Amino acid sequence: MNVGFIGLGLMGRPMALHLEKAGHTLHLWARRPESLAPFKDVNAKTHATPAEVAKHADVVVTMVADAPDVEAVCLGENGLASSGKKGLIIVDMSTIAPDAARRIGDRLEALGIDFVDAPVSGGEVGAINAALTIMAGGKAEAFETVKPLFEKMGKSATLIGDRGAGQVAKACNQILTGVGVLAVAEAFNFAAKSGVDPAKVREALLGGFAYSKILENHGQRMLDRNFKPGFKAWMHQKDLRIVMEEAHRLGLMLPSSAATAQVFNAMVGSGLGENDSIAALKLLEKMSTPE
Amino acid sequence: MEIGFIGFGTMGRPMAEHLLRAGHRLHVWSRRAASTDFLVEQGVVRCDTPTEVARVADIVCTNVTGSADVEALAAELADGFAPGGIHIDFSTIAPSAARRIAAAYAARGVDFVDAPVSGGGVGAQNATLAIMWGGKSALTTRLAPIFACLGKTVVHVGESGAGQVAKACNQMVMVAAIEAAAEAARLANAAGVDFAKVREAMLSGSAGSKVLEVFGGRMATCDFAAGVEARLHHKDFALLMNEAVGLGVPLPVSSAVWQQLNALMAQDWGRQDTASLLRVLEIGR
Repeated sequence: MNVGFIGLGLMGRPMALHLEKAGHTLHLWARRPESLAPFKDVNAKTHATPAEVAKHADVVVTMVADAPDVEAVCLGENGLASSGKKGLIIVDMSTIAPDAARRIGDRLEALGIDFVDAPVSGGEVGAINAALTIMAGGKAEAFETVKPLFEKMGKSATLIGDRGAGQVAKACNQILTGVGVLAVAEAFNFAAKSGVDPAKVREALLGGFAYSKILENHGQRMLDRNFKPGFKAWMHQKDLRIVMEEAHRLGLMLPSSAATAQVFNAMVGSGLGENDSIAALKLLEKMSTPE
Repeated sequence: MEIGFIGFGTMGRPMAEHLLRAGHRLHVWSRRAASTDFLVEQGVVRCDTPTEVARVADIVCTNVTGSADVEALAAELADGFAPGGIHIDFSTIAPSAARRIAAAYAARGVDFVDAPVSGGGVGAQNATLAIMWGGKSALTTRLAPIFACLGKTVVHVGESGAGQVAKACNQMVMVAAIEAAAEAARLANAAGVDFAKVREAMLSGSAGSKVLEVFGGRMATCDFAAGVEARLHHKDFALLMNEAVGLGVPLPVSSAVWQQLNALMAQDWGRQDTASLLRVLEIGR
């Protein structure tokens, strides 16, 4: 298949390379030409604009930072839609607001282009190991067409529902992981400040109802004091902003997410943004120790 | 002075009338012409476009709802202003939007002043608003006669956007105080104690505040008709919480208050007074 790929960052680069390895021809465009360097010796053609990418591709995957970027790549000047190509499928794997995904998808549909929102969970490691969890929203037919691509990038791909449903699922994922990481950090700091070994607490809890993957994996990394990302705190902060804006729009009370988002604000504000989310533990330690 | 005015809601209407009564000549525009009828009847000139307003006025005042509205208006006004013109925006918008608009005007030699107000509809009617403005301090003299018609406290907070930062702080402190009053009322009511009496006792003590007086009063008498429509506070919270994200600042109490406002909106009470935060605490009672 001729697959366009735009957004060749930490996540996008390994994802695109998996597709190439599976025998697809890549069509690339990048804002910064240096992002194209890793694709010099593979079956990939570079183009001058997103519109050119669209002309050569059956499916275009986008993996960019936020909604304005998705909008610019899809609908901006020389964007994918300006190619006028009917029947194109755009798969946006970025994390953006559900509302934005619906808005962008509706505009593309009016131009004869299918749009699937397909954000991922699993971080850079998941992208490198082709082990991402992919949650999609859109038409079943479009989903089936691109499913073989998903299978090369992830270990599971689920069609959650209509347009925007993938982003809703991702927002739910970020609520659970954000609140979950903070809960583990609080429990460990509570144990340590009570003079109890958090490692022992973790070990005991893993066998009970408080078991979770976060307690197991993130908890272990907290004990190892390995704060290398993983998933950077500033990105989690951005995702929680999306969650809270959506809650605002819907008139939804999300008390735990709101409190958690404030801790992520504090992490970014105190210079921990480039750390993994588990650096929430560092922040709590700092806040519970006299300066 | 030739003054342009755009935005005739609860706040804008009385503000425009004060300017007119002080002897200024008003030039107005509104999307629905009917909103300016009350001024046209008093001899005010109605313009066809915002650009035309800026062409005939030295200073244009706007009082609309969101950042996008102000940005759209500013783009049109910019084509009409002569160098030296001033756009005073009384709306509550994002500080970053105010800074962006100011920068766009600067290239044309036009000044933008963000001048959000506190005091509500009553403050606007009585010309007792608190005005907090951001922009060049050199503009103070030119702005003074206008501000004097509208408010009793005028503070130049700092550069462009500083007025909006002050307004964000104002909303944060005020709505948190309304929530605190609501929680006190809920606790008193649940304990079978008359909140009116509790409020009376508190007012003269250390917990006394304007919010306890005004909003606490509405809670004591179960008067939830707006005063200040809660949806406007809800809107302001989205702005200030987004500002906190951008700055990496934790606002734990504000974030909790925001969630109570979300719950209020879910009950469709957005057009009632923010004292309705008490009713949120009574859900499922």
